[in-house]
Amino acid sequence: MNMRDVVISGLGLVSPHGDDPAVVFDALLKGQSAIAPWSRDGTAPAAVASVDFSPARWFNKLQLVGVDRVSQMAVAAAELAKADAGWPAGLDGERIGVFIGSGMGGASALEDGYEAARLGKRVSPLTVVATMTNAPAAHIAIRAGAQGPAYTYSVACASSAVAIAEAAKAIAAGDIDMAIAGGAEALLVPGVVRAWQALQTLATPDATDPSQSCRPFDTHRSGFALGEGAAMLVLESREHALARQAPVRARFAGSGVSCDAAHMTKPDAAGQVRALRNALRSGGLAARDIGYCNAHGTATRVGDAVECAALRQVWGDDIDALRVSSTKSMHGHLLGAAGALEALITVMTLQQRQAPPTATCTAPDEACNVPLILGAAQSLPSLQAAISSSFAFGGTNVVLAFTRHD
Amino acid sequence: MTGCMNELLGLIQKAYDIDPASIDPHQPLADFGLDSLALAELMFNIEDHFGIDYPESRANVHTLAELAQVVDEVRGAISLK
Repeated sequence: MNMRDVVISGLGLVSPHGDDPAVVFDALLKGQSAIAPWSRDGTAPAAVASVDFSPARWFNKLQLVGVDRVSQMAVAAAELAKADAGWPAGLDGERIGVFIGSGMGGASALEDGYEAARLGKRVSPLTVVATMTNAPAAHIAIRAGAQGPAYTYSVACASSAVAIAEAAKAIAAGDIDMAIAGGAEALLVPGVVRAWQALQTLATPDATDPSQSCRPFDTHRSGFALGEGAAMLVLESREHALARQAPVRARFAGSGVSCDAAHMTKPDAAGQVRALRNALRSGGLAARDIGYCNAHGTATRVGDAVECAALRQVWGDDIDALRVSSTKSMHGHLLGAAGALEALITVMTLQQRQAPPTATCTAPDEACNVPLILGAAQSLPSLQAAISSSFAFGGTNVVLAFTRHD
Repeated sequence: MTGCMNELLGLIQKAYDIDPASIDPHQPLADFGLDSLALAELMFNIEDHFGIDYPESRANVHTLAELAQVVDEVRGAISLK
């Protein structure tokens, strides 16, 4: 079967740094962290990256009935991505798909429902439709008139990377011509934050400067900062994009997926190596072709070291030509939406040939011995190809590869 | 306009920003955007506001006038107790 070329023609996001991709990317290049202190209803202080978001721009009050914050942000990001893509009228809805990743779905509605039940109050009749994990995809499909597949992937921290990979496969295979693909997560509610705190994977809030709490690859790293938001890409076949004179941002080169099949939470270099190699093979790329890696880089003690070991194993002597950063240091960990946000950042890195730093890493760990971008953004004038890695609890590893559209 | 109609219009305005003057009580609810989900939420709000149990057997209403009729009947039954 002849596989079709897939390109990215639109970018949209609702993120801790804002909803304008250019502004967000500029803030990341400057190393500006959006992480801040957070506490609610007696929750122990946490460092999180929240979004200053109002649904009023996207929904009237009637449209907001039964729509959780996660779907609100998903719709906003999708509408922005469509606008960025110059989404035309008169598309054949059956040739459009929606592929969304989310770890939890409607966490606010779920927590409100539990709270009402616990207090002996009545539970809202719309709790189910607000909470269900595929609600964001459904809302996006309704707005876009997308009558093809509307899928939701819940693969923990790799959810939206899987969604983008699957969208690209469907387009490449000719099942559809266009897709809105990405992720949304909105779980900054007391019950969920407490659960993450109990797991002891979150960054200890920095007493002096909370914005510096998450320090990927740093000797003093202590975990990640929970984040929220949504990021969406418009993907389409190259021929479809060129025929409608769409603004092509980058080419989707390929994806690699693997499962550690080893442990629920402990990362495994061998599994990550398989995903990295699968992505290179899928994209027809050699390791030395890749100039930038937007790392999973969650700032856990074990995770960062394992990820760097996997990169060294695959890149070998070519590692010196690679540049690595973890932007989670600044936008937090968007969990199910992380892969999409970081894919968007990777596409913009390719476009601008400027890579954001791991701004908070000031004392790199020897165990993270890969060429890290530290301190300030790095200009990569010959950058042609880049990858974004997402490694999930449950052992699923996903690597997305993009190339410039020159 | 009698009974609970004004209060219902007030509830709808507060919840959904719909101008009461734009609502014809005999027009289908769907015509001013109240689909089945919004109606479920509205009935939930009505129960809270009026302190009543909306009868499930009367859930299939199509206009605001029908809805008000049911609410008035239930409230009448309560006040007669």
